[in-house]
Amino acid sequence: MNSNATVSVVILSSNSVHLDATHLNDDSLIIQKRIWALVSRCNDTNAFIDVVPAMNSLTVYLSNPAELEKWQTTLAQWWDEIDPQQHQGTHHKIITHYGGDFGPDLNFVADAHGLSPKQVIELHSSAHYQVLFLGFQPGFVYLHGLNEQLHTPRRATPRTHVTKGSVAIGASQTGIYPADSPGGWHIIGHTDFTLFNCHANPPSVIQPGDTLQFVCLESAL
Amino acid sequence: MITVLKPGLLMTIQDKGRAGFRHLGVAQSGAVDRYAMTIANRLLGNNDNDAVIEITLGLAQLQFNCDTVIALIGTDMKAKLDDTPVYPGWTYTVKQGQILTFSAARNGFRAYLAVKGGIICEQVMNSRATDLAAGFGGATAAALKDNDTLSITPYSQSWPKLGALSPPKRNVIRIHPSIHANLLKQSVLDDFCVKTWQVTPQSNRMGVRLQTQSNQLTHSHSLPSLPVSPGSIQLPPNGEPIVLLNDGQTTGGYPLLGTVISADLYHFAQLKPGDSINFSYVDLATANAAQAKLDAHMQQLSIALKNKY
Repeated sequence: MNSNATVSVVILSSNSVHLDATHLNDDSLIIQKRIWALVSRCNDTNAFIDVVPAMNSLTVYLSNPAELEKWQTTLAQWWDEIDPQQHQGTHHKIITHYGGDFGPDLNFVADAHGLSPKQVIELHSSAHYQVLFLGFQPGFVYLHGLNEQLHTPRRATPRTHVTKGSVAIGASQTGIYPADSPGGWHIIGHTDFTLFNCHANPPSVIQPGDTLQFVCLESAL
Repeated sequence: MITVLKPGLLMTIQDKGRAGFRHLGVAQSGAVDRYAMTIANRLLGNNDNDAVIEITLGLAQLQFNCDTVIALIGTDMKAKLDDTPVYPGWTYTVKQGQILTFSAARNGFRAYLAVKGGIICEQVMNSRATDLAAGFGGATAAALKDNDTLSITPYSQSWPKLGALSPPKRNVIRIHPSIHANLLKQSVLDDFCVKTWQVTPQSNRMGVRLQTQSNQLTHSHSLPSLPVSPGSIQLPPNGEPIVLLNDGQTTGGYPLLGTVISADLYHFAQLKPGDSINFSYVDLATANAAQAKLDAHMQQLSIALKNKY
């Protein structure tokens, strides 16, 4: 329960410090909320080139390498002080066309769990998801909150081409492909929501610590 | 304007790359050898971060459709401007219509061609570097191909013949300690440094993949995704390390054997499949001293070039 005492903060390189909270006993979502709050506190300084959260961990890349040890100490101190509720993300509604040509694997996912396609849509679109962090490719959001009834092992053979905007399920995760790419997740729908636009500022509308929900197009009309 | 007649194995527009967008999943991109790129720019009086052409292996051909001055830094690809040899490390004046032809590199893998005033293209997220995987940046948002054209500012005035030495090669790459030393056994870390590693053909700008004989580094650890960056050395369960380079992803779930010190990362630009390297753990003071030495090399170049233009 004591998430304060044992976080590890180590020097990764001459200009980066890594905070690792993966071994703490708290619920991983609680730990992640603390990570988001810490990211936001770090971003309030001008000390970093980039502040990159991942799963219950964080790496900061320093503008001034001479401050390496100072930030190693400060991050550990801030972790103890931080209020996990401090970070309030933006909520996004992702209008989604489920099934048919938009979601060629919807029936497969339904059959795999003895559900009807309608029940899969209902379970997928009724949850509120937390954006844990971004990675894999520009604008790709790792989401927390997929209903356990929908956890589905990845496709045995990945597709060589998945269309931008595809809404998919892979193992215990659900996500949206921000660009055309290969992919091994089951595609259950499609959204026109643009996750990443390299000419926009910021290029990714969705940020770590935000929340989102999928809204079934038919019910949105 | 420059016309790409043949791009060779891989030809891209690069600068120092994108900083500050890793939290959105955006790779750094940029020249794998940022020092070669910088030296090429400085010989022409360009800004350090002006866009250059990164040439991989060679077998490439460019035609200049206007007068300009070029500087070529990196491995020797037996380049010729029409019939005149072009040696790495020097500036050359180019006349409209001339063709620059590269043969294959023998001792290295990459060369950087800067032109007077830089390659002109739009900045995307504060950089002209090409992000190959995501498809933005550079002149065409992709690797250059036959008949692509590159915009440059014509330059017909005289320019002095200038040359520069590149920092020396190293075969032993210095690395920061592993943050997963408790997870990976000490014998694994020791073994990593004892072994000589060969670069595999699967290597690219995302990462250099390594193999060795009688590999003892296999494991079964899987970690929650953690941030990674160019220089991170991942150890997948098959025991074959991957040194992430400029196009590497922003997060990964493999344990890290260590991080290449900033002063040694540029050496990976010249490693081609089959080349051998070794690794050695060093402390922070050694890493900082190595970077200071490299910074001094670049500073000396600036001083030497002062008043030469």
